[in-house]
Amino acid sequence: MNLHKLVYAFSGILFLASCEKELEIDPTDNLPGDQAFTSELNISSILVGTYEEAGQPTTYGGNLQMTTDLLGTLDQAFWLGTFLDPRQAFTKSLLVDNGWVEDIWANAYETINQANLVIDNLDIVTSSEAERNRIEGEAKFLRALNYFDLVRNFGAPYETGQPNSQLGVPLRLEGIIEYSLPQPIARSTVGEVYAQIISDATNAYELLPSENSFYADRYAAQALLARIYFQQGEYAAARDAAHDVLENSGHSLATTFASAFNNDVDSPEDIFTFQVTSQTGINNLVTHYASEGDGGRGGDIVVEDAYLELFDDPNDERGSFVYINPDNDRRLTLKYTNQFANVIIFRIAEMHLIRAESNFREGTVVGLEPLLEINALRGRSGAAALDGPLTLELLARERQLELAFEGFLLNDIKRTQGSVGDIPWDDTSLYFPIPQTEMDTNPLMEQNEGYD
Amino acid sequence: METRLRWILALFVVLGVQVNLAQEKSITGKVVDAEGLPLPGVNVVIKGTTNGTQTDFDGVFIIGATTGQVLVFSYLGQKTEEVTVGTSTSLTVEMEEDASQLEEVIVVGYGTQSKRTLTDNIAKLTSADIAEVPNPNIQNALVAKAAGVQVTQTNGKVEGGINIRVRGAASVSGGTQPLYVLDGIPLIDPIGDRVEVGNGAPTNPLLTLSSNEIESIDILKDASSAAIYGARGANGVVLITTKRGKQGKAKFSLNLAQGFSRPTNKREWLNTDEYIELFTEAAINTYGEEDGLAEAEGLFDFLAGDTDWRSREVNTNWSDYAFQDGYQTDADFSVSGADAKTSYYFSGAYNNTSGIIRDNELERATARTNISHQLTDRFKTGMNLSFSRTEIDRIANDNAFATPLQAIAQPPLSPARLPDGSPNPNTLYGNFLLDAENAFFKTIIRRTVGKAYAEYQFLPSLKLNSDFSYDLYSQTEDNFRGQNSLFQSTNGEAFASDLGSESYTYSNYATFDQTFAEKHTLNFVAGMEYIKYNRRITSVTSQQFPSDDLNTVSGGAEVTAGTGVNLKSSFLSYFARATYDYMGKYLLKASIRRDGSSRFGENQRFGTFPAFSAGWILSEENFLNSSNTLSFLKLRGSWGKLGNADIGGDYPSLFLFSGVSYNERPGLAPTQPGNSDLTWEQSTQTDFGLEFGLLDNRISGELDYYVKDTEDLLFSVPLVPSSGAPTINQNIGTLQGKGIEFVLNTRNIETEDFTWTSNFNISHNTNELKSLPNDNADIISGQNINRVGESVASFYLREYAGVDPDNGDALYYLNTENSDGSLNRDTTTDPNEAQRIVAGNPFPELTAGLTNTVLVAGFDFSFTFQGEWGASIFNDGGRFQSVNADYYDNQSRDQLNRWQQPGDITNVPQARLFQGNGTAQSTRFLAEADFIRLRNITLGYSLPDIVTEKMGLSKLRVYLTGINLLTITDYPFEDPEARSDVNGQNNPGYTFYSAPPAKTLTLGMNINF
Repeated sequence: MNLHKLVYAFSGILFLASCEKELEIDPTDNLPGDQAFTSELNISSILVGTYEEAGQPTTYGGNLQMTTDLLGTLDQAFWLGTFLDPRQAFTKSLLVDNGWVEDIWANAYETINQANLVIDNLDIVTSSEAERNRIEGEAKFLRALNYFDLVRNFGAPYETGQPNSQLGVPLRLEGIIEYSLPQPIARSTVGEVYAQIISDATNAYELLPSENSFYADRYAAQALLARIYFQQGEYAAARDAAHDVLENSGHSLATTFASAFNNDVDSPEDIFTFQVTSQTGINNLVTHYASEGDGGRGGDIVVEDAYLELFDDPNDERGSFVYINPDNDRRLTLKYTNQFANVIIFRIAEMHLIRAESNFREGTVVGLEPLLEINALRGRSGAAALDGPLTLELLARERQLELAFEGFLLNDIKRTQGSVGDIPWDDTSLYFPIPQTEMDTNPLMEQNEGYD
Repeated sequence: METRLRWILALFVVLGVQVNLAQEKSITGKVVDAEGLPLPGVNVVIKGTTNGTQTDFDGVFIIGATTGQVLVFSYLGQKTEEVTVGTSTSLTVEMEEDASQLEEVIVVGYGTQSKRTLTDNIAKLTSADIAEVPNPNIQNALVAKAAGVQVTQTNGKVEGGINIRVRGAASVSGGTQPLYVLDGIPLIDPIGDRVEVGNGAPTNPLLTLSSNEIESIDILKDASSAAIYGARGANGVVLITTKRGKQGKAKFSLNLAQGFSRPTNKREWLNTDEYIELFTEAAINTYGEEDGLAEAEGLFDFLAGDTDWRSREVNTNWSDYAFQDGYQTDADFSVSGADAKTSYYFSGAYNNTSGIIRDNELERATARTNISHQLTDRFKTGMNLSFSRTEIDRIANDNAFATPLQAIAQPPLSPARLPDGSPNPNTLYGNFLLDAENAFFKTIIRRTVGKAYAEYQFLPSLKLNSDFSYDLYSQTEDNFRGQNSLFQSTNGEAFASDLGSESYTYSNYATFDQTFAEKHTLNFVAGMEYIKYNRRITSVTSQQFPSDDLNTVSGGAEVTAGTGVNLKSSFLSYFARATYDYMGKYLLKASIRRDGSSRFGENQRFGTFPAFSAGWILSEENFLNSSNTLSFLKLRGSWGKLGNADIGGDYPSLFLFSGVSYNERPGLAPTQPGNSDLTWEQSTQTDFGLEFGLLDNRISGELDYYVKDTEDLLFSVPLVPSSGAPTINQNIGTLQGKGIEFVLNTRNIETEDFTWTSNFNISHNTNELKSLPNDNADIISGQNINRVGESVASFYLREYAGVDPDNGDALYYLNTENSDGSLNRDTTTDPNEAQRIVAGNPFPELTAGLTNTVLVAGFDFSFTFQGEWGASIFNDGGRFQSVNADYYDNQSRDQLNRWQQPGDITNVPQARLFQGNGTAQSTRFLAEADFIRLRNITLGYSLPDIVTEKMGLSKLRVYLTGINLLTITDYPFEDPEARSDVNGQNNPGYTFYSAPPAKTLTLGMNINF
């Protein structure tokens, strides 16, 4: 029996001594943050993670495009879905606690922070200058893209030739890793934000290679610059940027209008897309535009007569690029019928439209005469050539015929100082409120007029 | 059976017998109890030697002894007898019950204590209390039974999560669940907040336990009792003790029951007529007479499909499809018994529950064996082992069209099925029937919990216990969505997951227990415990199936997702406790626990949790002990510190990146901001209590007052969204909870064949945030706010001001601050202008329970009422369900009371399709959730002994039990106990298409022999 006691006592004591170190347990499924910024491979992986973040359904995966499109029309489309948040956009009555708007804001800034983390740690990238430039360029491209959409939607519209001292969005240009400290920040002006965007995008253009797989290359940056200048009304610059893309990127119009959409792999027309596969990425445009059979919810957004009535030629493929969902008779766009298709952010058709309109406005003929260019684009879809002369109205309509449901309408209305029904372009109901969550946590934040 | 049992028993007896060689004369005898029944297993020892034997199954023993030697007969629960060996070689010994051992024994963690000398506040429930409530979730048995213990099943799903709040809310973002300790094994929720498995809704971690295995449940409420569990005791500790064999012959017990269930409440929705009326009006109000009518008719055409809405051909009551008549079958069986050396308990139980919601079912089989054996006088060893298999058919969480409950929003003019019987795919929302018939989600939990233990008695007053426990929780899930299931576009999808969670607990403790000079009783416990948790989760998803007949992952042509996760954590703890009483009058207790955990931040790895308590039994004093009225009076007080280590997963303090995939390229993304100072929540609790007994304890009760200060409150603090991260785990702020609890037990009538007892408990609990970080800045999360001076997680909403009688506009109070500090009570129609206010508390302030039990001439009758007051619930579905026909969702019937013409006084604004008239989140959708409920009512009848004896039984009882049969409430939504199962703990008190609980009527039978 004494042996018993001894074994007992000893095993107990041995055990006590050995298990304090058992309290040190490192995760196996995550990388502790202090090891994240230690290798070049990690930095380039964080960059890949930044694309993944930016392509989330809450922003470029679809909600950003849908929210602006719903806000930009009264009659071309109809939000029939059950979700309240996009319905508020459609009825131009966004509330400060609108969930989609909150998510757009939060997701864009998450992407920006990740891009900032990459930019802050470029020192670690030492293998080659080219590699370092690629990483820096891509990070700046993503940062510029996100700031551009933030300022266009949350800030007052840009006004050409003005100081643009109206409120934009906060500019955070350094990555945050220490969140125990408060992180308040005030809004920069629209002008300041645009200056930053142009600086980043220009930088990206200079740094990026001309070929870069499905990641952003220098022509993606140039296409972004074309869109930024175009939005600013700086048409000469927009024209030249678009021209560069059209001449040098190697991308061209897909052979048919239909083949420009629903592609698992980027089409020749795609300058930049967010990648979706059956395993990763979500094309949320399909979720809300498509029938159940195509991976949607049956058609939350239906195409209304007013849109189809814009078409002047019944042979225009784009005017019949719709289908009736057999389950519920809803008329839906055919642009989003493959749930694993990449989400198009920049395609060549937009560059044509930018170059044509900019040439027209500037009275120049860089690359192609505007009417010829428009007719070439129409020709791809089987639409009869316009006889001319071109007008701004025709150009604006042509953008709608080509680019509808891709997130352009509202920004074109703001650029051309038009209106949505009776709501003028600069009415605050056409921009997003600063999310309530930001107002609740950031003492330096100012709400947009009309939302306070 | 009987023979087999004899066999087993004989084997134990043989093992236990010690061979005695010094045999001089053989004495044969029989030991009986006070009623003359034979007592098997009585220890018979010759005093001063180690020679001894045990009585056999018939109470007979044979022992060799010499004349003049003294035989000592000992048996637990009986007074030890001594008999001197005379000349006779046969003798009969009658043993007497030892009354002192019959005092209520309370399980206190690493030991037990008499209720009488306890200085803690512990609520105890016995197997009788538990057996009364037939329900697969054993926690439901605790409802309304213990003061200050609020038990709420999240909603009416059979596997649903359970919230137990001991003494109110103590935490916000940290775990709010008590620590469950099963036979000394601290259990974890193996699923926790893992998103890799499940459907986004929690399941009850005790789902695998059957109530028939449980002897008692002791709830440690105050700091003095729970402090022995240190860093995990702050939310209270629930000690579950399983049954053991009791001294005596083998007892067989059989219970059979069959129950039938319905929902407690269904809401009323518009029928087709009313729907057409309201939506036509709404469309006209928005678009004018002509366009509005066209819009409305277009809508009705779409909703009605091929049916004729004009003739009101279809009037679907979607609730009828979502709900079903539930049933529940229970069968359990146990055999138990013990002799002086060996105690055994074997049980098996089967439960088959078909829930009140379509396709929600549970089937469970459990078995347990608890055996202990006294190897020698000093060495005792034993093992408890249980295994169970639980199979659940789950439905989607509340926030999915696939959950049957969301069907209640479908317009009534849509047929549920097409003429061919298949689900109608052309409905406003996805038709859940598509999933009900083409998809399944099956979860199987296999759990084995075992504990091997040994106890060695070094000295009569000193023993050492060593326990080793192992808990294996193995869960598999199979989810298949066929080609015709809801929103299915990939020719089917299969998901399979495998979760293996194991925990092992090794604890060693020594107990010293001695009375000095017959006055000073000292009990001292000291020990250590090491616990390790390992979890491993894998899952795989595939798509593209050739046929619905293949419904496992292998059938899919493309594997599209997979996960593999390993999680580990550990606790290392040392503890000690001393209790002392002087002459059974003056009581003192102190305990301390030092806990370390891998979960805490590097800088905060160990914490120490002390507690002290004292008691004074006044009724033992001379000036009181002669009182006839006052039979018992005890004052007690305690103070202690406790922790809450459930602070968000296994690595809550670390700054973490996760791997992400972008077009099959590996990426990294930050997923959790780090906080190396992160630590447990610490609560300090002070409790003053008074226990009394009047008229020979015919009336007894307890009154407690407590203050619970939680510091370092864990909060998942919302960060500035523009900083790029959503939340950070931080220990912030302090919360103070205060409460009063009162318990009254009375034996109203007590005669030979008529007894009537009552138990009443009531508790009042309030809490107030005392400080928050960043100069007490508000922390707002969804519709909840944490603000200094208010209750934790108060509702924070725009204040709905009703309807403008002139034009039917929904109005909101501005509630902006005037220059004098008062609130501007003007109204606005613009919700963006209206400021939010603190509008309610998600937790009840007052809870009460009343149980009456009457036993008369073979009949037993009992009922329990439960009441809760002071909580509010926010209906997050209100903005769809009850918004005067803003969108096509079917509307709750109260919306018919809408404004229609100037002068109408109503709370429902004018119906305006798509105009958002009154749809903003506001107090319009908040309701008080006060209720009184007849929690259970039971009528039983036991056949008289004369009859049962003839049948060869010792007891036969038939009973009828009703659960939730009656609810008295003004609550307008489903049920005050139906809450959303998708919201995180930051947002308590939401309902969102949540299922009401079941009301159940059960017929059953108990047989003992």
